[in-house]
Amino acid sequence: MGAAAESFAEAAVIEHRSGFRRRWYRTPSFVAGLSILGTIILLALLAPVASRHDPVQQNLLDILQGPSRTHPLGTDELGRDVWARLLYGARTDLRVAFLAVLFPFVIGTAIGLLAGYFGRWVDTVTNWFVNVVVAFPFYVLIIALVFALGSGTRNIYIAITIVGWVSYTRIVRGEVLVAKRREYVLAAQAGGLSNLRIIVRHLLPNVVTQAIVFAMSDIVLDILAIVTLGYLGLGVQPPTADWGKMIADGQTYLTTHWELSTVPGIAVVITALGLSLLADGLADLLRPE
Amino acid sequence: MHPRRRAFAFLATAAAVAATGTVASLAAQSSPRSPSAATPKRGGHITIARIEDSTSFDKTNVFQNESIWIAEQINESLYEAGNDGKTLKPWLATAYTKSKDGKTYTFKLRKGVKFSNGKPMTSADVKFSIDDARKQAKGWGYLDAAIKSITAPNPSTVVFHLKFQWAPFVADMALFANGIIPKNFAGQSRAAFYKHPVGTGPFMWDKRVVGQSVSLKRNPFYWQKGKPYLDGVTWTFVTDENTRELQLRGGQIQVDEFPPFNSIDKLKKTSGVTMSLFPSTRTDYLDMNELYPPLKDVHVRRAISYAIDRAAIVKSVLFGYGTPANSQLPPQVPYYDKNAGGLQYDLAKAKAEMAKSKFPKGFKVQMLVGSGAQVENTIGQILQSALKQLGITVKFKTEDTSTEFNDIQSNKYQLGFSYWTMDIADPDELVTFALDPKGGAFSFYTHYNNPTVTALSHQAQREVNPVKRAALYAKVQRIAASQANLGYLYYSPYRWAYTSKLHGFFVQPLGNYHLEDAWLD
Amino acid sequence: MSLTGYVVRRLLQLVPIVLGVTVLVFFLIHLVPGDPARTILGNHATPAKVALLHREWGLDKPLPVQYWRFLHRMARGDLGSSLFYSVPAGRLVVQRLPPTLWLIGLGTFLSVLIAVPLAALAATKRDRLPDQVVRAVPLVGLGFPPFWLGIMLLLAFALHLGRGFPVGGYGAGPLGHLHSMFLPSLTVALAIAPILVRSLRASLLEVFESDYVTTARSKGLPERRVLVRHALRNAVISTVSVLGVNIGFLVGGTLVIEQVYALPGIGQLMINSIFQRDFPVVQAVTLVFAIMVVLVYLLTDIVHALLDPRVRFD
Repeated sequence: MGAAAESFAEAAVIEHRSGFRRRWYRTPSFVAGLSILGTIILLALLAPVASRHDPVQQNLLDILQGPSRTHPLGTDELGRDVWARLLYGARTDLRVAFLAVLFPFVIGTAIGLLAGYFGRWVDTVTNWFVNVVVAFPFYVLIIALVFALGSGTRNIYIAITIVGWVSYTRIVRGEVLVAKRREYVLAAQAGGLSNLRIIVRHLLPNVVTQAIVFAMSDIVLDILAIVTLGYLGLGVQPPTADWGKMIADGQTYLTTHWELSTVPGIAVVITALGLSLLADGLADLLRPE
Repeated sequence: MHPRRRAFAFLATAAAVAATGTVASLAAQSSPRSPSAATPKRGGHITIARIEDSTSFDKTNVFQNESIWIAEQINESLYEAGNDGKTLKPWLATAYTKSKDGKTYTFKLRKGVKFSNGKPMTSADVKFSIDDARKQAKGWGYLDAAIKSITAPNPSTVVFHLKFQWAPFVADMALFANGIIPKNFAGQSRAAFYKHPVGTGPFMWDKRVVGQSVSLKRNPFYWQKGKPYLDGVTWTFVTDENTRELQLRGGQIQVDEFPPFNSIDKLKKTSGVTMSLFPSTRTDYLDMNELYPPLKDVHVRRAISYAIDRAAIVKSVLFGYGTPANSQLPPQVPYYDKNAGGLQYDLAKAKAEMAKSKFPKGFKVQMLVGSGAQVENTIGQILQSALKQLGITVKFKTEDTSTEFNDIQSNKYQLGFSYWTMDIADPDELVTFALDPKGGAFSFYTHYNNPTVTALSHQAQREVNPVKRAALYAKVQRIAASQANLGYLYYSPYRWAYTSKLHGFFVQPLGNYHLEDAWLD
Repeated sequence: MSLTGYVVRRLLQLVPIVLGVTVLVFFLIHLVPGDPARTILGNHATPAKVALLHREWGLDKPLPVQYWRFLHRMARGDLGSSLFYSVPAGRLVVQRLPPTLWLIGLGTFLSVLIAVPLAALAATKRDRLPDQVVRAVPLVGLGFPPFWLGIMLLLAFALHLGRGFPVGGYGAGPLGHLHSMFLPSLTVALAIAPILVRSLRASLLEVFESDYVTTARSKGLPERRVLVRHALRNAVISTVSVLGVNIGFLVGGTLVIEQVYALPGIGQLMINSIFQRDFPVVQAVTLVFAIMVVLVYLLTDIVHALLDPRVRFD
């Protein structure tokens, strides 16, 4: 591209950040996603208020009840209130999913920056690592790691981090490869700024947006992973409420009380929908005009 | 005819045929079922689906029911338990006599019995089998401990010389571990033989797909003429209860072993399915491993036992199909004491016991649960919640059910679940297994050790007077109950759901079934 | 460059990756706390056996030496022995491979069957109602946990809408397999279709607006021909690429779906082995999964190169 085009693109990079502020409420997917997700997060945060029941409180004389005034969604096989477990399950799963995205995001972005900027052997080695991890099906590696490390949320974070950093590295590296040819980077280098300064202050802000967009859909993937681990019995430990475990526990009663498995599943779908809409909207907003 | 019209005609005919066929088959299905004939029909193959895979077919060393019940179709014993679970019927032997001093038993063998390899069974085979069984120190050898020597004076007579009087002797001989195999393992090594054992039973080894299925086929030389009716049986391994049920409904399998409690009512109303609840000797326990210090404290164990709300468990987990357990022994076993005094739910007493213990503030403990074992998992969560009130924090470790069983057997656990079904019609087997640290299982893998109880148990083994024996066993049960050697949970019937085309399927109180009596419509 | 040249080059590029895969699998055992020998031997661990394993595997030697021995054993086909069944882990895996392969194959086929018409519809009727509807598919569809989808399908088809399909098990003979695998494959297909739809639609749109097509249109070539010849070809290339890239996700998804439908494939083998604490089998299955994925990447690259010669020169 000619110099004019480049500075035009340059301006766009800066411009769309302010455009964001002006346009977000006019982007339907962003608004929809935010509303859905916002509602769920709000409900999760207000769980103690939204439901007066304790999600782990068993009531063995009132199991498998249908919806009623005291139990809006009925009770499960141990007499626990389903609505309460749904809300507290949201807390657990959302919290774990958000945190589980953070570490790969940070680590992956950092590695991507280094690989893209320095190139040569750093890049080759990074690519090798990436290709090796990518060779394993996502769930297979996560499950194998959780098995090796043991169950529990801490090991879920570790497992997801080991497997998940790859996508961020690829995205950021790609962005860096393009960005480092830009005028402002070349200028900074000519001006004698240290590599670290260039990476952190000039490259990072411009390449991270794509990573953030991806992070939104990555959260969906992580929620699914956590829920799947819960279903397999390798996830969050009882009695903590978790949507995956709820689906698994409900499966025994599939033929008599199918709602026990269906309802938490719908919760997952709605949450994922909200996040996907948000991700789409964000991608739309952050795309240069 | 014009090609197009020919094609059309053909299609029309085909459609008509198809329609007719469909209507016909629908009609056949909806016509009232003819009452099942009383005469057994020969032929057919059934598939039985169960939650665990068999681990071994070495009947002298295996404790897992899923292995035992298959081994029993292959190997038979001198005497076998009747359908009431208490009386003993002559089987491979026709009669026995006992010497006056009670230390010599002479058995007359049945004529015309052959192994599935065609060779006739003789007393040499019997001697070899029982000699081999009683050598298994890590297995069932403990039940044959009373035997001093075995002799085979002629091919159809076997004589057992005992070290002392032994009340449960004939019942012990009826145990599957004492089933008869060809002498010298039919020329193979012991290990190779038990990979596909040979016996006199109604079925013989067919094949095994590791991790999936075990298949047996009819033994052409079986001594009961005309039986077995079935051509063969396959046992499959399906961990998910739902899947098994769906498979039964869909006709993929004929027998569903242990359908979930919550399905019983529904299955009773399902047409084409027979839902049977057989009286059982099954007792479910919470194992507390005394090798873990807090559990060695009798007050802790009593506290835990007091904290179990058995009635609630029966109602909400078993859906009413069970009764709270109050003794080491189940009601179907001779000498069960209904006043044994197994601790029942009382949270106040539980807290009081904790206060008396060395761990008044509570402790952390790990509970083993089987993956896919819904009842266990649910009870586990109930207990976790109950024990929390005593300051005891329970963390779960989920394992495949056979692995769970192995871990408990090797004492690699703290809290775990077990169940017992009697294998002989005598309390001795269970009392020794559960309460005698040298009884082959370190007191049901808990390392419970009370010399008084052990002494009483030994006395009862040699006491041939039933009244005196009853008194001894009553004492044993009461002491054990007050010390909460195990958490006695509940008694429950055997739950089997099978196609209504299957007849003659009967599960004995001991848990096993004689498939030679089963036949398909 | 000739096709063979390209294939050879790709194979060579795969070597370090496959080695890397083996390194990662090797490290799995070392992540488990405690003595690796005890983890491998499980309940069969006796001091004698543990010492033997230490010697054979060089567990007291530095890691590179251990890795070398590990590689050696693998080259001989020795993937360890199943703790639970006492048979070679490799043999177990090979035995259980067919259902998984069926699932992947049939699942892929069904997903293409679902995704291609939807994507084509959306691309040709861009921004109109059909497009809006189809675009909603990935949004909603990606949120369905595959196993939950499977359970819902089980509920619907195996229980309520007539007992049309068997539950669990693999069936006998090709038709039996087809019958048993239909619902699980459908689940896999529905899980992966949203991704396919989204990517396919995007690439079809690209094609429609490409210079090639607009030129062809301006030259007056019939719309039909333009579409079919050029768009279709690119669509196939795209589909192959997208499938290839997402194969990891697809294969991994079969793992859970096998669990739901009780299919005796390697996914269920892995999960059962985890609860049986049968480490050698878990390791063996992980390795096989990775090799499968690598092979599929290779295959898609080759097919891509076949269809689009330009690729061979990059």
